[in-house]
Order: sequence, then structure tokens, then C-alpha cells
Amino acid sequence: MNKRYGMSIDIDKCTGCGACMVACAVENNVPALPGANDRRGITWMRVYRVDNGEEYPDRRSAFVPMLCQQCGVETPCAHVCPQQAVDVDPATGIVGQMPERCLGCRYCMAACPYHARYFNWWDPQWPAGMEKTLNPDVAPRMRGVVEKCNFCHGRYHRAKERAAAAGEKDIRPGEYIPACVEACPAGAIRFGDLNDPSSEVAAARHEAGSFRLLEKLGTDPKIYYHSTRDWVRQIAFAPKPGGKENLHG
Amino acid sequence: MTTRRDLFKFAGGSAMGLLLTPAPWRLITDTALWSENWPGIPRPARGEIRAKFTHCGLCAAGCAVRARCVGEQPVSLAGVEGGLCPFGVTGHHLPYHPERLRHGNRPEAAAAVARAIANSAPDRRVAVLDLQPGRTASWTCRRALAALKNGVYLAPEEPACAVNLAPAGTVLSLGAPLLDGWGSPDRVFRARSGFRLIQAEAVESRTAALADQWLAVQPGSESVLGRAVAGTVGLRQAAEATGLAEAQIAEVARSLRENGPALIVAPEMTSEVLAWNLALGAWGKTVLPRREAPLPREWSKAAPVTPLAAVEVGSLGALLIDESVPGAPLPWAAIQPKLAADAVVVAFSWSRAGYARHATHVLPAAVYPEALGDLPPALVAPSVGSAAEFRLTVPLVAAPDGMTDPAEFLSAVAGLDAKDALRQRAAAIHAAARGSLRTYADGKTSAVKDLKFDDFWKALNAGGSWMGEVENSGKSPHLAPAAPIPDAGDPWPLRLSTTQPGAPALVSPLMTKLWQESGLRLGPHRAALNPRAGFEEGARAVLETPYGRCEIQAALDGSVPPGVVLVAYTPEIADIRGADGCARLVRI
Repeated sequence: MNKRYGMSIDIDKCTGCGACMVACAVENNVPALPGANDRRGITWMRVYRVDNGEEYPDRRSAFVPMLCQQCGVETPCAHVCPQQAVDVDPATGIVGQMPERCLGCRYCMAACPYHARYFNWWDPQWPAGMEKTLNPDVAPRMRGVVEKCNFCHGRYHRAKERAAAAGEKDIRPGEYIPACVEACPAGAIRFGDLNDPSSEVAAARHEAGSFRLLEKLGTDPKIYYHSTRDWVRQIAFAPKPGGKENLHG
Repeated sequence: MTTRRDLFKFAGGSAMGLLLTPAPWRLITDTALWSENWPGIPRPARGEIRAKFTHCGLCAAGCAVRARCVGEQPVSLAGVEGGLCPFGVTGHHLPYHPERLRHGNRPEAAAAVARAIANSAPDRRVAVLDLQPGRTASWTCRRALAALKNGVYLAPEEPACAVNLAPAGTVLSLGAPLLDGWGSPDRVFRARSGFRLIQAEAVESRTAALADQWLAVQPGSESVLGRAVAGTVGLRQAAEATGLAEAQIAEVARSLRENGPALIVAPEMTSEVLAWNLALGAWGKTVLPRREAPLPREWSKAAPVTPLAAVEVGSLGALLIDESVPGAPLPWAAIQPKLAADAVVVAFSWSRAGYARHATHVLPAAVYPEALGDLPPALVAPSVGSAAEFRLTVPLVAAPDGMTDPAEFLSAVAGLDAKDALRQRAAAIHAAARGSLRTYADGKTSAVKDLKFDDFWKALNAGGSWMGEVENSGKSPHLAPAAPIPDAGDPWPLRLSTTQPGAPALVSPLMTKLWQESGLRLGPHRAALNPRAGFEEGARAVLETPYGRCEIQAALDGSVPPGVVLVAYTPEIADIRGADGCARLVRI
């Protein structure tokens, strides 16, 4: 049976420390470039601070980790790519990005409803000597291509190799987890196979307070968020800016 | 006959036809493939993958770390018993930081210190400022200073106790960043579901955002709430100072007494905070004695810890500042008056950002994870209770040539042989034959009495952790008299608050993703202000305090109350921030 990897993120536990963001960059050889800013930088995982729109001291904030939502149906980025550089792996449900095929047209960035894709404006560079700390399982990407979260595909392949070496057909639960899940000190992010009813993440999506972002688009995102706070769950509908109900990110 | 028009037609047709073949598209793909691997893009090193274990040396919490290495080179760090903070996750980048100090003139600095010692008048003192007291290196410095004439050991105030969050029913945090780097994330988050957290703080910090209840108190009045809860200040006086209703304060006090065991925590666990906890009956439950690993008997002759305030003005002829491990610095404005006019100041630093800016001599120190050392007693005790611990920061990469170890430098000046101090300390622990050793590679725990010393030492150097026997009872420490309640009527209109106090002066270049490539944290030289503070987003201003000034850029943030300026912790801010946090902003 094919797997359908997904994530469950408990917003009520996320402290917004940013460990997931930097762990993702370490794992996937994403550089920090001096000229980068919030529009030109690359953050496969980005944590946004949202609030309830009230004035101090009634204001309340929450932290929302945002990454590729791994849309499973009518995947917008895969639909618009002229180069077939984006595909949905039927064996895992992971939306992959192949930089070798990417032309840098950025149609996929325009199509992504979550703004979770990033363009390499520059060739990757690291301070002298720091290239020694690059992850050997992930190739750095050149300038002119788009990249995004792929649930740490390097880790997936390592887990597959380990399973094969142990003579097992399938990866055992817990053998493959992305870097952000491992790094989260608060244990706010859980990862697993949504098709496996015994997995934590499959159970979490049925919990009260569980929701997906922009579910109304019908793209079957595989990232489930959870919060017991009503105003936090409103972010699923992306309210229009201007009103008091606006959620500032 | 072929005309020139036919040739043009043929060429045009060929060009059009070529577009319908796979050739140009293939060429584009191949070009992309070729340029993907061009020499300008670094290729990750390949080799045997192995795991090494150490303890994080970026703060006193000392989280256990598993390093994934290619050959001997660490390529990623992860927590052994839970996640790490972002500083810890990127710690292996520090040896390659472009702003790292690499050169210094050690002979010149040693000669200057030796001259200052030899020529010093009887009232002149030689001092060491240790930013992270309680380590074996700290004991080496204290022993060396005891051997010197007029040696003084200066250090920030150590916590008066350890805390255990595991049994807590209700925790009142008076502005402590409990969920944001206050203690080991592993120990804090493992206990988090068991207690109700009430955060009293002016700013809606990360901890306040995640607390079960956030009390938005007046800036700087958190300690008054602590006194009110402990019953040393009346409800009316506390309500006036904090801006809370009397009923609200009474409800907090009732909650702490009825839903115990209770615990009050503050950014610094001073003896006054300990006294409030004693009043709530927390001693032996959530507040415990802070235990230190055994010391060799011959180390008993050591200089005592002297508070900076007790040092006479102009009396320091030589000051050595140990910045080789991150810690809470003392403001330079408080140190400077204690120096003699011709004082020699030597800073052992990772970069030029900290005290190196004020030093007469700067010597580069090995960064984490290059240096071998140990960690001070933890503030957040293990869930089992109060026990001494001994954990080494085992080097993951070799330090470059030219690095200076402050303890070794000072012991050379004082003529003290302290090369094997860590091993001697381990021998003292082993000789006591108490407690157990945990090795992370195999997850085993062994009783120390069953181990030979060489195996014990080898296991510690492979990232093992020793824990003594649990003993929660003990004599409660001496309680200092309470400080006066801050005066609300001072001429400074703002209160200065900092994020992540005690953050290392050098952080991985990847950390810029948290403030430059996203707005998750405040970047250096940015100040968060209430939108009604009268500044526009991006406006430049000068932040003034009684101790100095620095330039900042305004970032509007509705979670910051009027009357507060929230800045990222930097060495410049540490220099000018007083204990009272008084400040004002002047628009440029």
C-alpha cells in the first residue's frame, strides 16, 4: 500500500523559537546570503507570528510554521510547471521539485496558494570553510531555480537504504522524520503516514481543533494544524485584510 | 535555380522546424544540468557517516547533543533527549564564522599582565571576570588567583537554587523566558503539560503567548507581584505598582497556594525569589539546593567569589575577562570605574563584539564545539530531583592554532599546574564512588562504583553524563534582604526590555533567517515599539540610558505595551542596560 506522508502541527505548543527554520536550512543546504530579505531569502520552513487583531493588552499571538502543504489533489504547482519539474510521488505523496528540470519561470510560485516556494536569486555561497558542514545527502541548488520543502527527501532515501540493508520492505514508523520534526524542542510537530491508522499524525487529524489551511481550494493539503483557540483556527480561511478580524502575519 | 530568397526560406524554415524537435529543449536541460555542477557551487564532502556525542556549550543548560559527522566533520546537530534551541542546532557553524577572532598576541598580553602583577601597589588588584562561574575552569581561575597577590575573582550572581518543574502544579513566571531558552528545553517541555503557567510580563513574549494566563503588568513591576504573592507587600500597593486589580493578584496567590506544589521563577533566581518560594512551601519540592560535583581536596585553597560592587573604584590594575563561554555579562559602565587609569584589560573572546571592544589586549579563544570543558550546575534540575551533574563539552572539531585557554593562561601567569584539571575533577568524582554514568551511544546507565577510572574518563570524553545521587532536602541558603521597590517617578520615560538575554556574541550566519529573511525575531539594532509610540516603521532613533547610547531602527509591534522598548540582546545593549531598565528614545 502506498504511503501518504503528512504532518500535524500543534500551534498551541509552538513557541516560535525558529529551531525548525534553521534545522531545515542545515539539513537541506540552504545558504544564508547577506543580501537576502523576507522576499528574496529562502526559508523552506517559515514561522509566522499571527495575532487576533486586538490592541494591547487584549492582543494575543500565535506562531504558525508554514511550509509546502504537499497538496495531494490538483497540485497547483505541478499543474502549471511547463518543464514537469514538479511531481507528486505516488509512493509517498510527497510533492518533489527537480532543480535539474526547472527553468526558473516561477509559474509555480505564482500558483502556490501558500507562498511556500522560493527562487534562487543567487548562486549558493557559504563563508569560507563552512561548506565543510554541508549535508552530503543534498546537492546545493544553482541560481535561477525554484525550491521548496520536500519533507527532507535525503532523509527519506537514507531511511529506505537502512530498511533495505536490514532486509525490510518498508520504512518503519519513526525511522524517517524530517529535520524540523526532530529539531522542535516543544514537540509541536508530528510526522507520519496518514494512511496508517495507528500513526500519531493520522489520529491527530481527527482531533477537535484540527484544521488545514485553505482547505476550501480542494487541493488536499497534507499538513494538519491544531489549535483550541477559535481565532487561531480562522487563519485556515485567510481573512481579507482591513477588518478587525485581520490576522497579521 | 536556387535564389537568395530560397536560401532565406530554407534557413527560416529550418529554424522554425528545429523548435519542433527536442533538440533545443534538450540543450536547455543539459545546460541546466551542467551549470548545476559548475565549480562555483560547493560540493558537500562525502565519507563515512558516524555519530558523536557532546554537550552544548552555548549556555549553562548544557543540552546533550548528537552530532552527525562525515568522517570527523560534524554536518548537523540534534538533541539526544529532545530538540535543541536554534543556537544549539547551528552551533557547528561557529568555527567558520567570518567574524571569528583568529589572531592575537599572547606573549605581549602575558608580558603586560606579568608587569601589572609585578609592579602593582598594595591596593592594586588583579581580577578575573568569569561569565559562566561554576565550571572546572572557574575553579582553576580561583585557585590561580589565590596563589597571586591581591587576586580577585569576579562573577555574575549565581542562581540561589535549582528548580524542578516536574512536580509543579502552578508556576508563576515573573518575566522569565521559561519557554524560550531559560533552561534546558528538554527538561522544561517534558514537564510543561503538568503545570499551569501564569506569566506576568509587560510584553507579550513567546512565553506569555504560550502561557495558560498572561498578566500584562506595568513594565518593571514583576517583582512587586512576587512580593504580594509571598505576602510581604499589601494588595493595594501591589495593585498600584503592577496595574492589576487587587482581586486578580489575590486570585494568583490563591491559585499558587491551592494548586501546588507552587513555583515562582524570575529571569535571575536571586535569594529574594528563593524567599518567596520558601514562603509558599516550595523548598524540597519545586525549589531545591543547587548541587556541585565533588572537587579534589587540594582545590580548597581558592579565591572567594567577589561581587563587582565590593571592588573599590580605581583598584583593578589588571582585569582578565573570560568570554570563552557565553554568559550573562556585567555592563561595561559598571566595570570601567573599577579600573585603574593604566589598567591592563585582557579579553579572551570569540569575536570583537563583546568586551574585546574595551580591552587593551584581545586573545582569541576556541569556540564551541572546539574546546574541551565542563558545564556549571544546571538551573533546571533533572525530573528525579536535585543531583550534582558532570558533563563535558567534548570537542567535535579541532581548534585552529593560536587559540588561548583563559584558565591555562592565568595558571601559567600564577605558576599553577592545572593542565589536567578536568581529569583531576573526574578522578575526585570517581573516587567518591557515588551516582551513575549515562552513555548516549548505547543508552546505558552504569553505577560509578562498578567502573574503572579509565573507562569512566573515556566515557565522559565520548559525551557521557555523570549524575550524583538524588537528595532533595538540604539547608536552605542564606536569604539577602529585599531590594527597594522601583520608583515609578523617574525622569526616564521608557523601560528597556531585551529578548534572549545571554545569547552568544557569535551566532551562525544561518540565524539571520530568523530576523532578516523572516520577521520571527528582532534583529540586531532593531527596537520593537508600540504602534502608538509616535514612531514610524523603520524610523531611526537613538536609544539612551543612564549608561550610554546606541542607534536603533524602530519596528512597530502591537504586543509591546506603550512605555516599553524591546530590543534584541547584543553586546552593545548589554553595555548600556542598567538593572532598572530606564531608557528614552530620541528621533534622529
